[in-house]
Amino acid sequence: MSASLTLDSLVKVFDDPARPAVDGVSFAVAPGECLAILGPSGSGKSTVLRSIAGLDVPSAGRILVDGTDVAGLAPERRGMAMVFQRPLLFPHLSVLDNVAFAATVAGQPKREARADATQFLELVQLAGFGSRPVTALSGGQEQRVALARALAARPRVLLLDEPFSALDPQLRGDMHVLLAAIRAQLAPTVVMVTHDRDEAAVVADRVALLQRGRLLQHDTVERLYTRPDSLEVSRLMGGRNELPGTVIGGVHRSAAGGVPAPEGETWAEGSGVLVVRQEALQVAAAGASAPEGFVALAVVVADRRARGPRAELELAVITDDAPDARPDSLGSTRLLAEVPASRPLAVGDRATVLVPRSACTVVAG
Amino acid sequence: MLTTPLPGADARARQRASRERWVGLAMVAPALAVAGVVVVGGIGMSVVQSVGLLPLVGEARFTLDAYVANGDELLTGLALSLGIATASTLLSSVIGLAAAVIITQGRITGRLVAGLSAVTIPVPHLVGAAAVGLLVADSGLLPRWFGVEPGAWPDLVGGPWWVAVVLEYTWKESAFIALVVAGVLATRVARYDETAALLGASRARRLRHIVIPLATPAVIVSAIIVFVYTFGSYEVAWLLGRPYPEPLPVLAFRLFNSITLTSRPEAAAVAVITTVVSLLAVAVGMALLRRTPLWR
Repeated sequence: MSASLTLDSLVKVFDDPARPAVDGVSFAVAPGECLAILGPSGSGKSTVLRSIAGLDVPSAGRILVDGTDVAGLAPERRGMAMVFQRPLLFPHLSVLDNVAFAATVAGQPKREARADATQFLELVQLAGFGSRPVTALSGGQEQRVALARALAARPRVLLLDEPFSALDPQLRGDMHVLLAAIRAQLAPTVVMVTHDRDEAAVVADRVALLQRGRLLQHDTVERLYTRPDSLEVSRLMGGRNELPGTVIGGVHRSAAGGVPAPEGETWAEGSGVLVVRQEALQVAAAGASAPEGFVALAVVVADRRARGPRAELELAVITDDAPDARPDSLGSTRLLAEVPASRPLAVGDRATVLVPRSACTVVAG
Repeated sequence: MLTTPLPGADARARQRASRERWVGLAMVAPALAVAGVVVVGGIGMSVVQSVGLLPLVGEARFTLDAYVANGDELLTGLALSLGIATASTLLSSVIGLAAAVIITQGRITGRLVAGLSAVTIPVPHLVGAAAVGLLVADSGLLPRWFGVEPGAWPDLVGGPWWVAVVLEYTWKESAFIALVVAGVLATRVARYDETAALLGASRARRLRHIVIPLATPAVIVSAIIVFVYTFGSYEVAWLLGRPYPEPLPVLAFRLFNSITLTSRPEAAAVAVITTVVSLLAVAVGMALLRRTPLWR
């Protein structure tokens, strides 16, 4: 049930050869690994998945499963199963016969196929639902059955095309827990398409970030957040802090001051934009000194926006040139920090923002 | 803040809804009246005439004579009409479903079949019947093409098996079923077909386990239409069939045009029987439809 999957310079052109839907995408997925293909609408992520499944024929490039090129193999011969955004349960079959479908069409006797399907229904916590018609299920249950049906086919690679995006947040959370349990038990190789960064972070070991058909970065979730390869990646991952400047002698210098590279890392000399996640910034009392590994910047709260349990603070950096200025007359160097909503920081308050060096990275501008 | 509806607001809403209902009814009334007069009036007149309550001459008197006057012809005609309609419907359904599957494959053959089906639909049955006659009669195009002597060519037109009639119906109606079912396959079945393929089902398995079961309701509905049409249609059987025995619509038409004035109630009796059988066929078809899992 766990095969390795490799994409080698995959290209898919639909109408306009100048704008391929997928443009030279390459990545490898290890057996048992879960890869999330993340990207905004129209980034080509679903086309990549459909090409892997054999539903779309690539214009160029290779798809290797366990090292073997699957070009020319019909979808039914690739050993993949897919769960779509819509559950697409066969409406003329019962829940159990839906899950037993792969075994039935493989020629297994009905009794055996159904016994096997029962186990997979138990796996998705729907034991006892087998005899129901599929119309008697809720949205979450339908998607569980779709997952059980796909797993019962014992796919070499399990493909998930935004399978939980139509569910409400509570159900989506439950499905993430279920997927984790399935991975722990069966260790299938999973490729999941999603436009939800949080979902990718929760479910996947690694993420392939796509935009306009190009692969921007293929990395672990953590590195995608903290070590983006480019400004584009940082922005797509929701990064809000960008400080243009220059790296001189391993220290990034910008209007906000100097930030040395983290221990054991080197930044390319020359101009570059320092990016740091808003969640990584700590806001301390005015005048607080920087602990080891942090850079302290004096700031004034320029704006405060409620974000449910969190608050988003826009902080104007007080530069050496204007130490006593009010927020509205300060320069354009702003940082964004997220703090718990209970922090009583109001617009105009002075504070110190502590920037952890380990959370900083410099990318080309 | 909770808002309390003003007293009377409820009554006003009810009044408005009632008014809208009446306006809606008034707008469909003309169409409803025309359809009602034609269907209820037509059938009613036939029933009244068939039981002797509307004679052309003489006194009106309730009698079932018209139903027994041509007893043998009526039974033979009924069996013949049922045979022609059943054969045409079965063949059209099988060929139409196959054509629909080919159309939705989306290749050049599919587009060709879709084009042929679309071209077939507007051709009137009378023209189709004439064309089939010219093609398959013993002096027609096909025997000449194959160099078969007229005597050696089977009696397709006017023969004992009504082959040319069934052929014409099948040609026209399979195109109709193909387009109706192709529409359903393309819009409702395509994604299920993909899903089944990804679960390892071969093309043949998908056809058996997914495509045919999901297309069944559309096939049943269009088959009901085809059955009722071929059962009650007159001109094709009249042109391509033999003079005797006559299918029910041909019998009804002959009796209606007969110079014997007493034949009118007999023609009406044949028409009433044709209508009753058609309604029964619709009822059986709907019962079959309700048994399909998709309908439930």
